Amino acid sequence: MKPAAFEYHAPDTVEDAVALLEAHGDQAKILAGGQSLVPLMNMRLARPAVIIDINRIHALDYLTPDGDVLRIGALCRQRCVERSAVVEARCPLLSAAIRLIGHVQIRNRGTVVGSLAHADPAAEATAVFAVLGGTITAVGPDGTRTIPADEYFVSYLTTSLDPRELITEARFPVLPPGAGWSWREIARRHGDFALTGVGVVLTARAGTVKNARIGLTGVGPTPARAARAERVLVGRAPSGALWDEAAEAVRAEIDPDDDIHASAEYRRHVAGVLARRALAEAYARTMEAV
Amino acid sequence: MKLEGTNTLPAPIETVWKTINDPEALRRCTPGLDELKEFEPDRYEATLRIGIAAVKGTYKGTLAITDKQAPSHCKLVLQGSGNSGFVRGEGVIDLEPQGDVTLVKWAGDLQVGGLIAGVGQRMLMGVGKMLIGQFFKCLEQQLGQGV
Amino acid sequence: MRHRNTYVPMSTRYFGARITRNEDPALLTGRGLFVDDVRLPAMAHAAVLRSPHAHARIRRIDARRAQAAPGVLAVFVHADLGPLGEPLPKLIPHPSLTYHKTQYALAPDKVRYVGEPVAFVVAESRYAAEDACDQVEVDYEPLPVAAMLEAAAAPGAPRVHDDMDSNVCAHYIQRVGNVEEAFARAPHRFRERFVIDRGASCPMETRGVVAAWDSRSRRLDVWDSTQAPIPIRNGLAEMFGLAEEDVRVIAPDVGGGFGPKVMMFYPEEVLVPLAAMRLGRPVKWIEDRREHLVATNQEREQIHDAEIAVDSDGRILGVRTVFLYDAGAYIPYGLIVPIVASTTLPGPYHIPNYHCEFRAVFTNKTMVSPYRGAGRPHGVFVMERLLDRVARELGLDRAEVRRRNFIQPDEFPYDVGLIYQDNAPLRYDSGNYPGCFDRALELIGYRDWPARQRAARDSGRWLGCGVACYVEGTGIGPYEGARVTVEPSGRVFVATGVGTQGQGHMTSFAQIAADALGVSPREVTVRTGDTGVFGWGTGTFASRAATVAGNAVALAAQAVADKSRTVAASLLEAPPDEIELAGGNAFVRGVPGRSMTLGALARTANPLRFTMPKEWEGPGLEAVRYFTPPQGTFSNGVHACVVEVDIETGQLTVERYAVVHDCGRVINPMILEGQIHGGVAQGLGGAFWEKLAYDDQAQPLSTTLMDYLLPTAAEMPPIEIEHMETPSPLNPLGVKGAGEAGVIPAAAVIAQAVDDALAPLGIQIAQTPLNPNLLWRLITEARRRS
Repeated sequence: MKPAAFEYHAPDTVEDAVALLEAHGDQAKILAGGQSLVPLMNMRLARPAVIIDINRIHALDYLTPDGDVLRIGALCRQRCVERSAVVEARCPLLSAAIRLIGHVQIRNRGTVVGSLAHADPAAEATAVFAVLGGTITAVGPDGTRTIPADEYFVSYLTTSLDPRELITEARFPVLPPGAGWSWREIARRHGDFALTGVGVVLTARAGTVKNARIGLTGVGPTPARAARAERVLVGRAPSGALWDEAAEAVRAEIDPDDDIHASAEYRRHVAGVLARRALAEAYARTMEAV
Repeated sequence: MKLEGTNTLPAPIETVWKTINDPEALRRCTPGLDELKEFEPDRYEATLRIGIAAVKGTYKGTLAITDKQAPSHCKLVLQGSGNSGFVRGEGVIDLEPQGDVTLVKWAGDLQVGGLIAGVGQRMLMGVGKMLIGQFFKCLEQQLGQGV
Repeated sequence: MRHRNTYVPMSTRYFGARITRNEDPALLTGRGLFVDDVRLPAMAHAAVLRSPHAHARIRRIDARRAQAAPGVLAVFVHADLGPLGEPLPKLIPHPSLTYHKTQYALAPDKVRYVGEPVAFVVAESRYAAEDACDQVEVDYEPLPVAAMLEAAAAPGAPRVHDDMDSNVCAHYIQRVGNVEEAFARAPHRFRERFVIDRGASCPMETRGVVAAWDSRSRRLDVWDSTQAPIPIRNGLAEMFGLAEEDVRVIAPDVGGGFGPKVMMFYPEEVLVPLAAMRLGRPVKWIEDRREHLVATNQEREQIHDAEIAVDSDGRILGVRTVFLYDAGAYIPYGLIVPIVASTTLPGPYHIPNYHCEFRAVFTNKTMVSPYRGAGRPHGVFVMERLLDRVARELGLDRAEVRRRNFIQPDEFPYDVGLIYQDNAPLRYDSGNYPGCFDRALELIGYRDWPARQRAARDSGRWLGCGVACYVEGTGIGPYEGARVTVEPSGRVFVATGVGTQGQGHMTSFAQIAADALGVSPREVTVRTGDTGVFGWGTGTFASRAATVAGNAVALAAQAVADKSRTVAASLLEAPPDEIELAGGNAFVRGVPGRSMTLGALARTANPLRFTMPKEWEGPGLEAVRYFTPPQGTFSNGVHACVVEVDIETGQLTVERYAVVHDCGRVINPMILEGQIHGGVAQGLGGAFWEKLAYDDQAQPLSTTLMDYLLPTAAEMPPIEIEHMETPSPLNPLGVKGAGEAGVIPAAAVIAQAVDDALAPLGIQIAQTPLNPNLLWRLITEARRRS
């Protein structure tokens, strides 16, 4: 399991990295944590001709609260986010989900931005990013642009990034005051990709759901927002029956795949179960927050 | 794995039939299809670079269009192999005229072997469906433009 | 001096002691030497090109571009092998094994499983070798595939071997009593189909071979991550026309074996030495994980059609099973696994009439050889599930059904009436099955279980309890040997032919020798797995090392102790039977001042000049002894567990897991517990996680650890272990084997616990491994029915 030959570069600045990307286009891959890329290379499923190692661009290693977002630089390790008191306080959904990525060793190297760039259909960070409605900052030869979550994910392992663009930062909106949240997933083992996972952010006031966001992972080529289920919830009184109704709406609007670990039927069913449990837990957290 | 689907193409059945049997049209709608060389009537040598994001492989093989019943039915038989494994498949295409447009019903059995099958299980089915979907979307666009 | 063949320990100070392991300081600080740590000057690296097809003819193979690739030293295909291209040796023939087909070093004209070696590339680096593999052109003609076991066994299936009429290579029946008559007159008969799926051993260290050929002295040195270096040495000598004395095989530190590392030969074990000899440079090949999951032998796949006949009290009148055994593409290891399954099934129960019949079937999948348990898990799964069925059908408590059928403590030796895997009668030597069972029930709280379960259900939790029993045949022959030597420094060396893959031999054998010689185990160095150090032995497998090699160590150490006393007697002017050995010294009993260190004795026993007393019978304090067990010795145990099933998702959690285990006298309880922990982890893996998935073209679909799910520490429940000891009368130490105990009843006990958790739904688990999707489907179907 040795990779095919490649050219290796380790630029010191974002500008140098982008220049390399411009020169090599889709022949190049960015190396940050390498926790997804390197196994693919070792198995020779991916054979990038050029590797651009950005681990020397220390300016990209930051985790900064900024108003109502958390700004996470491209080199910020998952473990750093996991252990951050700021994230735990302002965006506990992210804290909870990050904890379930692989194992400590993987999170010590893997980056949040890398996970977003890789866009695995069953990842945690991508689903949290989608459900919170984050944005990506991408730098390319034509300049800098921001991409919102709902324009970012295209398909399996595919995003709307141009091959010559480097993600420098991801912004995660913090939870609104009084919001409840929950992350529930089913995995075969601790640290595995989720068979199905659900993230929920809920606000309620005076016995009515004001705002609901439901995001899923493992149910299709990209993280999914259960928009119909969200609409079912808004303006209604929280109750077990309401969560059941929303769960059915979730089931109706997803189109999961079969694989050797679970059937589409199972994923669809469990997505509803997890949605229901997540909604109940998120709502309980709103009561606490009030 | 068994895959099937239905697509509607914005052109009359004869045009769609001609397009499906036209190797140039096939090549345009199959990104990564570097080479499609006819060596016998309806039998082509093909080199296909296919993959998702960083995961790419090059497959060399053949594509045959058989069982032709113009303008409504044919079968595609393909096989290709490369360092990432091999692919073998058969697909049946049935066309149904519906006024100005054509309903395309396709059903195929795709067998994937080697590295890709042993490692890519989690996404194989989904990616397969997606690539076929992309192919038809492209045909749709081309026919819509009256190409 | 008379040789004694009985062991009389002067003290049992260390035998039975829970001491830390001698091997651990080096292993835990990275100072172990595994085969990939072997680095020799000018060493080249190899990679194997493997078939991507499960069944195909090789129409054409062209290695020219690969040979010209940068850094490539050689590319071998079958045509380059000469006589080494013949099928590799048959390991364990059997009269019923009509087609003893064995594997090739490189596929000749046909490939028969995905992963079969087709070409062998040697280059300056593994990177270059893998690059060159990409350049070997192979033209395959795919053939129809015999993928699924039952379909492969049926007439008309695609044939894995062209010269056979079908894929059935063996048909074997063992019978006790008259099963037809028993079933005919039985008031109750229950039949069940059991499916057990393929699994892999997945040791932490994959396989690897390094070979170096010295063309001047014409000697071959091989490092091999194998469980049986001596047969490898003997086989390589024969294969290459060398004297055994000129071949040395070393199994260095080995990171887990679990069975599949016993072979003679894996293709690479022949190709690496061949390449080293042809190139005149050392060659290394290390298996990567993806290779391991297709190229190292697998196991576990069997389908049983089983039946039990009982009277109205649940007493067994007869048991019958007819099963299919998936051998994979070749069967070098013979029928060991299905024979062990057949002979383990009766377990601790009276079974007056028994019919066990199997067919071994070739399929286009990886070869099969024993993996921890080696068929015992299958026998236990069938028997325990049948008894659970009896309990359910007759409305009896499942513990009571077992109690009514146990062999009692006063019935030993108990002749089951079958022939075991060692070709000796299956005769249980000792055990206390009811006592072990009762202790396990106490440990898991079985008496109070119904109340606890009801309370859990009332709060919406579905908990279940399982209890399963087994008897394990261990300690089989033919023999093992040991040489014990005291050096002038006082240090004791123990050399034996068994290898070590984590069993703690450096400690347990040291404890045995230490007791005989009156030294500390820290002063005993144990060497295993090196044919240059000890050249007689068969290997580490079948839970036999402690029993067979351990007893050889005891006999050899006893002989050295006797000689020490003889030599000391001459020097200290006292009769030998008044000489005591303790604290590294020999002294006259009652006169501690008159003493010599063992080291001094050793020096004195090796004079450079003058004459030696005749009663010393030669120089030094050294002896070689062998232990040849007349038959196996039988351990037993009971596992119990509590599980929770999430009714909505099918997710399973194991809350508690308890093992009450009897392996006779225990050398080191801590090491034994480690063995059980590891076995339980593998057993739970085979119950809920580990399944080698193949599609209907025999394409392996789980070839990385992302898809072949090994349970991690986070999935493991706390494991409670208790020991019981019914010593074996069959060997001087009274020990029995323990290596496989942890894995044997795990699938059975989990299945029973799941049935118990879901009892209101009437679910009956008849397959393993389980998974959440499957459980959810069974739950949904059961709800639909009711």
